[in-house]
Amino acid sequence: MEADDQVTAVLSGRDAYRDELTELARHDPRVLCFEADLGGRKHPFAEAHPDRFFNLGIAEATMIDMASGLASAGYRPFVSTFAPFATLRAAESMKLGMGYMGAGVVVVAPYAGVSGAWFGTTHHCLEDLAVVQSFPGITIAAPYGEAETRAVIRAAAAGSGPFYVRTGRNAAAVSLPWDGDVPPLVNWVQPGSSDVCLVSVGEVGTSLALEASAERPESGHAHLCFLDHASLSEAAEELRSSRYTRFVVVEEHRPTGGVASTLALLMPSASVVGVNAGMAWPSEGGDHGEVLGRLGLDLAHLLAVV
Amino acid sequence: MTGTLAGTSVEVLRERAVLARRLVVDMAAQPTGCHLGGSLSVLDILVAAFDRASADDGTEVVLSKGHAAAALYAALHVSGRLAENPAPLYGLAGHHYTGHPSPAVPGVRFPTGSLGHGVPYAAGWAFAQRLSGGSGLGIAVTGDGELQEGLVWEACQVAAARRLGNLVVVVDRNGGQNDGLVADISPLPDLGARFAAFGFAVSEVDGHDIGALRAVLGGEVGDRPRAVIAHTVKGKGVPPVEGKPGAHYVTIDAARAAKWKRMIR
Repeated sequence: MEADDQVTAVLSGRDAYRDELTELARHDPRVLCFEADLGGRKHPFAEAHPDRFFNLGIAEATMIDMASGLASAGYRPFVSTFAPFATLRAAESMKLGMGYMGAGVVVVAPYAGVSGAWFGTTHHCLEDLAVVQSFPGITIAAPYGEAETRAVIRAAAAGSGPFYVRTGRNAAAVSLPWDGDVPPLVNWVQPGSSDVCLVSVGEVGTSLALEASAERPESGHAHLCFLDHASLSEAAEELRSSRYTRFVVVEEHRPTGGVASTLALLMPSASVVGVNAGMAWPSEGGDHGEVLGRLGLDLAHLLAVV
Repeated sequence: MTGTLAGTSVEVLRERAVLARRLVVDMAAQPTGCHLGGSLSVLDILVAAFDRASADDGTEVVLSKGHAAAALYAALHVSGRLAENPAPLYGLAGHHYTGHPSPAVPGVRFPTGSLGHGVPYAAGWAFAQRLSGGSGLGIAVTGDGELQEGLVWEACQVAAARRLGNLVVVVDRNGGQNDGLVADISPLPDLGARFAAFGFAVSEVDGHDIGALRAVLGGEVGDRPRAVIAHTVKGKGVPPVEGKPGAHYVTIDAARAAKWKRMIR
């Protein structure tokens, strides 16, 4: 391959986070990076900024509480651990420090949904949006692809409030294009011609929606990156004022507390249907796609609903 | 690093503690009542801790046993950190003086009351001081029953591993908890040895000796976090409730409050 023909590999969400934060920290001394022993042995931030990288050990609640202390003293701590441990084990730390107190902590949580696949239910998280959406004041983002993840991390670093950023494990994708620096509340991907609009959320939801809209080009497609209640309230205004009357929300989450349920409440006059991971416990092995298939979150099911 | 003592005399601090105890009794006479026993046991610790923070070196005091909010509000007021008298407003609609501390109250930075969180909050604050080159402490004031929470020890593990010498955990060792005695419910034998095993420097003081508290909080900062086991008496200073586990939560009327306040010296 000629040098000019070399294609730069697209990074997964969690690798894009690590790389982007490492670059941001060069210019922002407030940025600190914390891990709870799941950052790997060769974390780029640790190599570039060893004095601002801290593996606190397997202590998720302490990590988020300490980050709240650091944020209240003027630092911008980014903490990362798997989604189930951040949002369920350390839920109270998120509620009190990031929600109630409003501490400017950024939680970046890979392994959301069932991206942990054969690792099993302890390492899955189909409940995080329900939990974190119920804590007022925390911005929630579920970026799709490298560019959108980088943009979210830049936005989080530039802000002062708390963020929860949800990613998968190792899946990589090219983000959908958008105008501006920060992803819009509604990214209109495909206009379509029918009254049905796919609403895609997160890595799996967006990937499936892209596949479905390729097969059903008459369907519209709107992609949502920011999923907290305040952002969804504004997004719902935009969706409601569109010409679509039926919205099919695709998300790797349970139906309870997911984006579809929130949009249904925000748009009572529209038809909002959820295609999601259902209410079963995924107890079998397999790769990510196979576990999703067992839960009924696949293209065939989505097309049937559309 | 050498120790830091604020300039206030022990006599002045004792006077503050008397005034604060009377305010706590006033709060017990509010319609809501308050966590009286544990507020009176921790009060001298808080008065000494806020005196240490008055050195303005970035020291932050976190009342981890947030149910003693009445003591916190009273100590903040007598230390000059909270201008208005919180006692007549405690527990009332339209005011922030809730039964567990809210960061909406001037002088309160962290929400506590769900037990255990104050230790890692203080550890984070101490860590920030170290990173920024400051000399301030993170002082967490816990209950002894609170030490039954796993989060406390998770945070101690991290603090010791990070050698956070500017973290001080002060244990209000009053021996009581909501449903009875710590010794009956889930005892904590060899408490000093437990902290020492985690890597803390441990000292024990009379938690009602403000001079001793002032000295230990002003002590030298080394490279190990410190645990100060402060032996206290639940209900301290108010004879009708002193040493009584049942005084954990008390609601009294105004006449009784006036009588009890006269006993406080």
